[in-house]
Amino acid sequence: MITFVLRRVLLMVPTLLVIGTLTFALMRLAPGGPFMSDKDIPATAKQELMHRYGLDRPLLQQYFTFLRNIARFDFGPSYKYPDRQVREIILQGFAVSAELGGWALLLSLLLGIPIGVMAAVRQNQALDFIAMSAALAGVSVPNFVLGPVLMLVFALSFTWLPAALWTSPASRVLPVLALSVSYVAYIARLTRAGMLEVLRQDYIRTARAKGLAERVVVLKHALKLGILPVVSYLGPAAARIIMGSIVIEQIFAVPGLGRYLVVGAVNRDYTLVMGVVIFYAFFLLVLNLLVDIAYSWLDPRVELA
Amino acid sequence: MGVIPQPPVAACETRGSAIVPDVKLAIGVLLLLTAAVSCAPATGDATDAHGRRYFGSLAAPAGQVLRFNLGTEPELRDPGIMVGQPDGRFARMVFEGLTNADERTLEPRPGQAYRWEMSRDGLAYTFHLRPRLAWSDGTPLTARDFVYSWRRVLDPATASRNASLMYAIRGAEAFNKGEARDSAGLGLAAPDDSTFVVTLAQPTAYFLFLTNYYTFMPVPRHVVEAWGQRWTLPQHLVGNGAFRWTYWRQNDRYEFARSPSYWDRAAVRLDKVVAYTVDDMNTCTNLYKSGAIDWNPSGYIPSQYLPFLKGYADYRTGRFQSTYFYCVNVTRPPLDRPWVRRALNLAIDRVAITRDLLKGSRDPWGRITPEGYPGYVGPKQVAYDPVRARECLAKAGFPGGKGFPRLTILFNTSEDGRRIGEAIQAMWKRDLGIHVELMSQEWGSYLQATSTLNYDVARRTWIGDYLDPNSFLQLLVSGDGNNRTGWSNARYDALLRTAAGMLDPAKRFATLAEAESLALDQAVYLPVYHFSTTELVKPWVRGIYPTALDVHPLTHVWIDHDWRQHEPLAEGAPRR
Repeated sequence: MITFVLRRVLLMVPTLLVIGTLTFALMRLAPGGPFMSDKDIPATAKQELMHRYGLDRPLLQQYFTFLRNIARFDFGPSYKYPDRQVREIILQGFAVSAELGGWALLLSLLLGIPIGVMAAVRQNQALDFIAMSAALAGVSVPNFVLGPVLMLVFALSFTWLPAALWTSPASRVLPVLALSVSYVAYIARLTRAGMLEVLRQDYIRTARAKGLAERVVVLKHALKLGILPVVSYLGPAAARIIMGSIVIEQIFAVPGLGRYLVVGAVNRDYTLVMGVVIFYAFFLLVLNLLVDIAYSWLDPRVELA
Repeated sequence: MGVIPQPPVAACETRGSAIVPDVKLAIGVLLLLTAAVSCAPATGDATDAHGRRYFGSLAAPAGQVLRFNLGTEPELRDPGIMVGQPDGRFARMVFEGLTNADERTLEPRPGQAYRWEMSRDGLAYTFHLRPRLAWSDGTPLTARDFVYSWRRVLDPATASRNASLMYAIRGAEAFNKGEARDSAGLGLAAPDDSTFVVTLAQPTAYFLFLTNYYTFMPVPRHVVEAWGQRWTLPQHLVGNGAFRWTYWRQNDRYEFARSPSYWDRAAVRLDKVVAYTVDDMNTCTNLYKSGAIDWNPSGYIPSQYLPFLKGYADYRTGRFQSTYFYCVNVTRPPLDRPWVRRALNLAIDRVAITRDLLKGSRDPWGRITPEGYPGYVGPKQVAYDPVRARECLAKAGFPGGKGFPRLTILFNTSEDGRRIGEAIQAMWKRDLGIHVELMSQEWGSYLQATSTLNYDVARRTWIGDYLDPNSFLQLLVSGDGNNRTGWSNARYDALLRTAAGMLDPAKRFATLAEAESLALDQAVYLPVYHFSTTELVKPWVRGIYPTALDVHPLTHVWIDHDWRQHEPLAEGAPRR
């Protein structure tokens, strides 16, 4: 177990290196630079800025500086917001995104798993059909459609909830809903599929033969293996949901992390883009590791090696 | 500058289709609802006792609190180096320059200086500061702070992007360009604590408009030197304006409270200001409608809303000092021939573009400078004339467009940019018989292409910095970094230089008009339309007027809780 974790942690290093290098190359291949604007900048000012951020040094040297920055998780100041360190920007945005994503993830699991279990238990009955149709709709409706519709209905037609912004607890409701609907639907479908497979297996028949109550059979014996597909999906899903959704953050004016990737790239804010990409990659790798550990705990047949 | 246009969320029409199972029905309903959201939010309008309709909620906030949308997150909070409108709005609340812009006319009014004199030759300005001025941490503010702050803007080590606005000052250009060894030659002096003397390189008629500008605001030396680049964080920042900065979360909001150390604090009526930084136009218009903000400033209403908003009493528009034009790269044949450029210019049907395509939210415009400089009469506007356009093209050697090479119109990715490009493409094909292609690039690539002259014809927008035609005509001076066409004309340069030295406003404007007429005849910039300010202001907000530069000092703004008893827009602004 410990060797497994250690090896995986060590493997993260080359992975991050490759991701960082690719991002560095892509950012530098894009035309323009961080100090371009609609309005001309005096040549001396441009020179000074390039010098201040080390952009006048040879590219290879800049690359090594960047690698050192990854190691220390310190990317220096943002070019666009120079009074702030990239690290501060990431952490402040992440706190909001993680809260939004955390609620959405919790809601997705709390709704998705029971719906999936119920649908599996009542396979091909009316409940199953209704649940799965709703899930199909949930997966199909993109959140840039759902977000404005929720806003129209709950904030503008009926003024029950704030239209946007991240202030009162009530302001969390619409973005969390808009973000979680597709995850609820997907988790319900995965749970149903997993449960259907497990419910046909011998050990479930044994459990039933022992005379266990159906509730115990389903919730204690079947569910543990039945949600394995959900667990493996959870790694990337959690990374995506917690790192922030650019669409939801834009529609509901949520000050999260998602937007910085886009804004940073458009502005050629090299340090900000690098910081966000590396942070995201690192987060994803850690979550995947956690998923693998959870797997071995849920399914004794899986051996970590 | 540099606002990234938003693509509209959904098309306004949804076609009926054969709906099979209920899932499709559900999606259809959702799509219809989205279309309704993006097209015309028609629900929840309120009407007052006079029968005027208002856009959305009419529930005023309690107390003297103004909530508005600041727009895109400001990049810098240091007035000496900031560029861009949201940054400027921040500066105008927290800092104050020698002069202040009038709420309606933007004319200079006494600020930190209570009076000033200009020398007979127009070269020296003496500003007298108010007694007992102080920074918000209690440190006294003196004329030396102005010398320090202006010198700092010009210091190449500061890398201020707006430094060129100060080139009117004696010795400024040489110092900023690194040609002078030190700042000893700068025309800035503080003979005593309350006197600030500026010596100019040449008379500058609009100098007092410049002193309104945020680049000319003072910064607290003791704080800047203690914290360096990070002095503008909320825990460090010290200002001298009407408001104190109290809270910040990036991409969320700024909060301000009335400053107890401001010299005119008794006249400041707002206790608190909340400025959200929401850049999505649909979202901020919806926030306004739901009553979460009291003011949605110009530029943050989706363009497809504009024709629909015209009937509302809280929608205000006015002339904005900004024009939309196509610039031509004159270094690329055949665009180096003036007759070709004239043909292109005459074959743009500006009325069709603004009336039919933009649905009247913009005005057709055939001049480089916008309208509304007191005293300036610009040259006659270029008008659509397909017959003369064809003659011009024939004179250039391409009768009927024969043999004309394929040109490309470049624009930055945006829905309106594409639609206007397509319209002009069709006009040039119909009237001149030439084929042009359209190319869309994202913002950074587009800037790179236009500033390195790597294009044929490109879309551009310019916003005036100060209320003088010079703010636009300066662009076309040979070698100016904002010229971006490669055009260079000795006579034009000479006219601008002569005008700059003139003290008589009538003569100066006449010279500038002659220069503009020359540039129009040479068809370097092909004007398309004139921008308007378009804003939504709740009826209880008093003291915000449409202004030509979309600058709105909030010092005297207040919340009128009895607005229903008062005549609507009593202080208000003329609406078109």
